[in-house]
Amino acid sequence: MKSREQEYKEIFIAEALEYFDALNRHISDLEKRPQDDQLLAEIFRLLHNLKANAKAIGYLRISDVSHKLETAFSLIRNRELQFSDEVVTVLFEGVDLLGELIHNIDNENYGEPDPVLLRNLDIIVDNLSDSTIELAKVRRYNTSKNLSLSELVYIQIKKLDHLLNLVGELVIDRDRIVSISRELENDELKVVSSHLNRITEDLQYSIMDARLVSIGSLFNKFPRIVRDIATAEKKEVDLTLAGHDIQIDRNILQIITDSLLHLVRNAITHGIEKPEQRIKKGKPATGKLSLVARNDRENVQIQLTDDGRGIDLSQVRKAIVDRNLLSNAAVEHLPDTEALSYLFEPGFSLAKEVTEFSGRGVGLDVVKNAVDSIGGRIRVDSKKGVGTTFTLQLPTSIAVKGALLFEVDEIFYAIPLIHTEQVVAMEVSELHEVGGVLVADVLGETITVVYLHELLNVKEQEINFGDKTKLKGLVQNIIIVSYNNRKLGLIVDKLYRQQDIVVKPLNKPLDTIDLYGGVTLLGSGSVCLVLDVPAITRYFISKRQTIAAE
Amino acid sequence: MPTKKDKGQATPALPADELTPATTNGKEEADKGKVNEPLLHLIVFKLGAEYYGIKIEQVKEVTVTPAITRMPRTPDFVKGVANIRGDIIAIMDLEERFRIRPEPAESENGVTYTLVIEAKEYSIGVVVREVPQSLNLTVSKLDKTPSFLQDIAVQENYIEGIAKVDNRLIIVLDMYKILSGDEIRQLSS
Repeated sequence: MKSREQEYKEIFIAEALEYFDALNRHISDLEKRPQDDQLLAEIFRLLHNLKANAKAIGYLRISDVSHKLETAFSLIRNRELQFSDEVVTVLFEGVDLLGELIHNIDNENYGEPDPVLLRNLDIIVDNLSDSTIELAKVRRYNTSKNLSLSELVYIQIKKLDHLLNLVGELVIDRDRIVSISRELENDELKVVSSHLNRITEDLQYSIMDARLVSIGSLFNKFPRIVRDIATAEKKEVDLTLAGHDIQIDRNILQIITDSLLHLVRNAITHGIEKPEQRIKKGKPATGKLSLVARNDRENVQIQLTDDGRGIDLSQVRKAIVDRNLLSNAAVEHLPDTEALSYLFEPGFSLAKEVTEFSGRGVGLDVVKNAVDSIGGRIRVDSKKGVGTTFTLQLPTSIAVKGALLFEVDEIFYAIPLIHTEQVVAMEVSELHEVGGVLVADVLGETITVVYLHELLNVKEQEINFGDKTKLKGLVQNIIIVSYNNRKLGLIVDKLYRQQDIVVKPLNKPLDTIDLYGGVTLLGSGSVCLVLDVPAITRYFISKRQTIAAE
Repeated sequence: MPTKKDKGQATPALPADELTPATTNGKEEADKGKVNEPLLHLIVFKLGAEYYGIKIEQVKEVTVTPAITRMPRTPDFVKGVANIRGDIIAIMDLEERFRIRPEPAESENGVTYTLVIEAKEYSIGVVVREVPQSLNLTVSKLDKTPSFLQDIAVQENYIEGIAKVDNRLIIVLDMYKILSGDEIRQLSS
């Protein structure tokens, strides 16, 4: 495995060579059409980018030469320097020098660039159109240099999507072949299938790796955005970023871009106070906003923290009651984390109630939906007067997910591990019927438990969540899932193993069924339904409310 | 996408002259038509007691029904999903969909067949009890506007016409309209 640094370097070189090729092309064109402003602008842009990239990665010579050339071209653009024969020669030589420097990045024996050429560049830059100064003759660079093609190819994300789908199918067939070969007991087949197994895995991870981008590509857009919003809001905000190098699937990053922007905007407009208010509260005038990415097991965690006014929990509780989501009594005993989770409820946009005081809740359900759609999780923590933190837990890759396989009523199901908290086995006697549902004490926490068969298969009018007699057997396997800070125990008939699965999205017309996040094919070839935990939780809550209303 | 036809399981069960097994390439069959009038090539199957037809262009494949995984909490006409050559396809029960009373007689040995249909926006599988047949008929034999159809609201009109072949009545379905917008919405609720 190459180090990230090595990879960055290779990307830089490949890009730089591309710039170099483009520069050569444009500058030759420019020689024929010196008045073409568009060409000039393009050359200018290329040099500018090259300079910035080289500087960022620490190749100062390249950035230095680019800078000189850039200056020269800006003079030409401003008509302060004639694109005359002499100048052209020097510029061509300058571009050649750039190419040479790029080619020799790794060559330790490469000495200093030709000082005469550098001086010539300085002369045309410094002396403007003063042509009296003699440009020294430079030894021509060897023009018969090897032609080389770029090390980098651009590829449409669509093509990578397609590759990923194909490899997903391959993995499924691979599993199938591996399980068949195990049954057949044929040594030759076993050898082939184990080799196939390895290669497929390699292929899968290579394709996943090809789709990864660093989070920095998104984070780097925020300093400017934060500055603009803060200026418009007349606030002082200091943004810290960390974890640029964390890698994540490009499509996942794309999907959460808007959400992150939304949260950042919220944090500045509603979270962070105006300087005078902050000083009154004894806080520094400049608000702190931090956006941090880190790897968390197989996932990527993005945390957005502000030190603003925080969320007023009593206002949230009041809003929950006002909106008839819970009764007064229930709200009082609601743990803080659960109360906060109501902020993500659709329509809980509290614009009137909460926004004036703590300013959250606007469109948070949209953010949540985006995170849900890629199988991620979002959590909010807040302390009034101290600040708010949003934590997004995102899968690194769309395609492969760790999942728990189980069976209910002879149908195979899977639940992505990102939504599972723990698995417990409990005797029926440990389950208690309370208020029409079953509850269980799991490590000191009272958790609502539901028999999945009851939730999924019993006629909707006949559902009875509290009926223990329907449970088969003495010991029940319960998968505790968590969604929006609320835990729910799902009783399953048979619990199988933990496995990496490739989720295939459902095709039309089934794609609108939100109970299922997709399907996966098991090694046996049978179809396994992937349950969508957010949708299952919502379905349970709505059914429970319907029953309670009757 | 090439039209795949599952050979070997289509033995003519209908005693009609123009019925041929649903295995051969539809275009060639159509070209061999004896009249110059354009031909309509249908795949014919039985729902309830009646014969129904779908234009061959809309049928991607005919296969023995694979194992179907039931999908709880979907409308009754969705039998579930099946893995057909790596594609996960929704399997529909059109008898349920059209509220057709099923024939009491089950197919022998319990084998059913699935027509994989490619409509504009979706692929679905349709389960039928008997081996589907292939049928050529001239376009003029299709009555596109039987009077009874004119009473039905347009969005309900999944019937494209009625064809009469050898005293047999075949209801030609417009597969693009089989799932109405309403039903697709019903799926998501």
